[in-house]
Amino acid sequence: MATLKKGIEQLGEGAISFIGYIGSIVIFMGEIIFWAAHPPFRIKQLIRHAEKIGASSLPIVTLISLFTGMVLALQSAYQMQKIQAEMYIASLVALSMIRELGPVLTALIVAGRCGASITAEIGTMKVTEQIDALETLAANPINYLVVPRFWAMLVSLLILTIYANFIGIVGGYIVGVYKLHIPHHMYVKMTFDPLTQSDMRNGLYKSIVFAVVICVIACYEGMNAREGAEGVGKATTASVVKSFVLIIACDCILTALMYFIGR
Amino acid sequence: MIEIINLCKSFGKHRVLDNLNLMIERGETTVIIGRSGCGKSVLLKHIIGLLKPDSGQIFIDGKDITRLSTKELNDIRLKFGMLFQGAALFDSLSVWENVGFNLLERGAKRKDIMTRVSECLDLVGLKGVEEAKPAELSGGMRKRVGLARAVCMRPEIILYDEPTTGVDPVMGDAVNKLIESLHDKLRVTSITVTHDMKSAYRIADKIAMLYDGKIIAVGTPDEIKNTNNPIVKQFINGDSEGPITKGG
Repeated sequence: MATLKKGIEQLGEGAISFIGYIGSIVIFMGEIIFWAAHPPFRIKQLIRHAEKIGASSLPIVTLISLFTGMVLALQSAYQMQKIQAEMYIASLVALSMIRELGPVLTALIVAGRCGASITAEIGTMKVTEQIDALETLAANPINYLVVPRFWAMLVSLLILTIYANFIGIVGGYIVGVYKLHIPHHMYVKMTFDPLTQSDMRNGLYKSIVFAVVICVIACYEGMNAREGAEGVGKATTASVVKSFVLIIACDCILTALMYFIGR
Repeated sequence: MIEIINLCKSFGKHRVLDNLNLMIERGETTVIIGRSGCGKSVLLKHIIGLLKPDSGQIFIDGKDITRLSTKELNDIRLKFGMLFQGAALFDSLSVWENVGFNLLERGAKRKDIMTRVSECLDLVGLKGVEEAKPAELSGGMRKRVGLARAVCMRPEIILYDEPTTGVDPVMGDAVNKLIESLHDKLRVTSITVTHDMKSAYRIADKIAMLYDGKIIAVGTPDEIKNTNNPIVKQFINGDSEGPITKGG
């Protein structure tokens, strides 16, 4: 009985702390949106961060998207050959990349690579009192540190996702045309024929939501880092884990919503 | 003038400031002493509005800063300069961008910023480091750059958080000299938090001892040296045995 009571208490505490965390995140997001609409607009910083997030992520996004497209084509070939429907491999790769894998994989790569770096950078500023110093100089830390990263993340992730979709399709094309000997014109036709505007749009909507998730979590964890170097390490780990979980959870919710709305 | 009335602040169950009262006159250099972790830096952060008290008031030139909006607080903050314990220079910016940060934020012309930055760096005895990054500077130089940044907007009040901590004794003395000369040249109100008694005696017009969340003694350096308060006596003499250590 005592164990059950303790278990229920712990569950309650966990639930309260979870709701508190979500509340803090929502308030933080509200502050970002408020400051994003207020000057000064830091274009130079935005470009610098977009370069860090976008341009520097290109090699890894290229590699992973290319391999994903190839694996997708090979795996589907295994099944499709049984029913002699190889020509549908192109459509399967294109739809899977654009609707699902492109946005999700790119978001996971960016969360692991750039989200962690944002948390570590802001967290270090927090524990070395640089954020306090910003405030004493009458500069708002959210406007100065978070907003440029927020816009940079949004723009970069959108562009990276479109790029990842393209590279994934190229990966599928390489396997389809050179390994499975599907004619070039047939592969291209079967790639673009089933695609609709809503497929493209839905993929990009996901990308926007993921960008917000990555940036908000990364900056929030950084701004709330404590206890020196160890605290920054903990905040960075928390940022990556929470971003990953939320990306997958949001993907699930968005896919369901799009499925039911699109019916 | 700065007036602190019944200031209380707790972190969790730990009460750091407990009905603290303190008055600081314009143009005066006040040194707040106390053991490590007794709440000196917390008090300093309340004075500049970085922390909100649980209760109590802080008046800066008659305005209670605990009730101000962010915008009003930022206007008040322009009266302040603050030197942080580790200097808190922005890693990603060069020395001149750090020192002229406030002017850059207000869209001043590069030429005007550079002129002011050079003046401030001269004031703290640094030259030719404008383009350097904070990581390329020694601890003492970082403190000086931090000080240059603190005085760049010609503040009326300067807060120093452990200015001599983390620098060698020679550099510590140089920092003390710098604080004295800045006080003489700029006629500012200074509040310094330290547990370095040598530094306290040198720069203070008035010394206040923080203990158990309260200011337990205030006086001139001579009055503090000759105090009969056993807690203050133990602290300034650096004795390991006495009422402070008995009380935990």
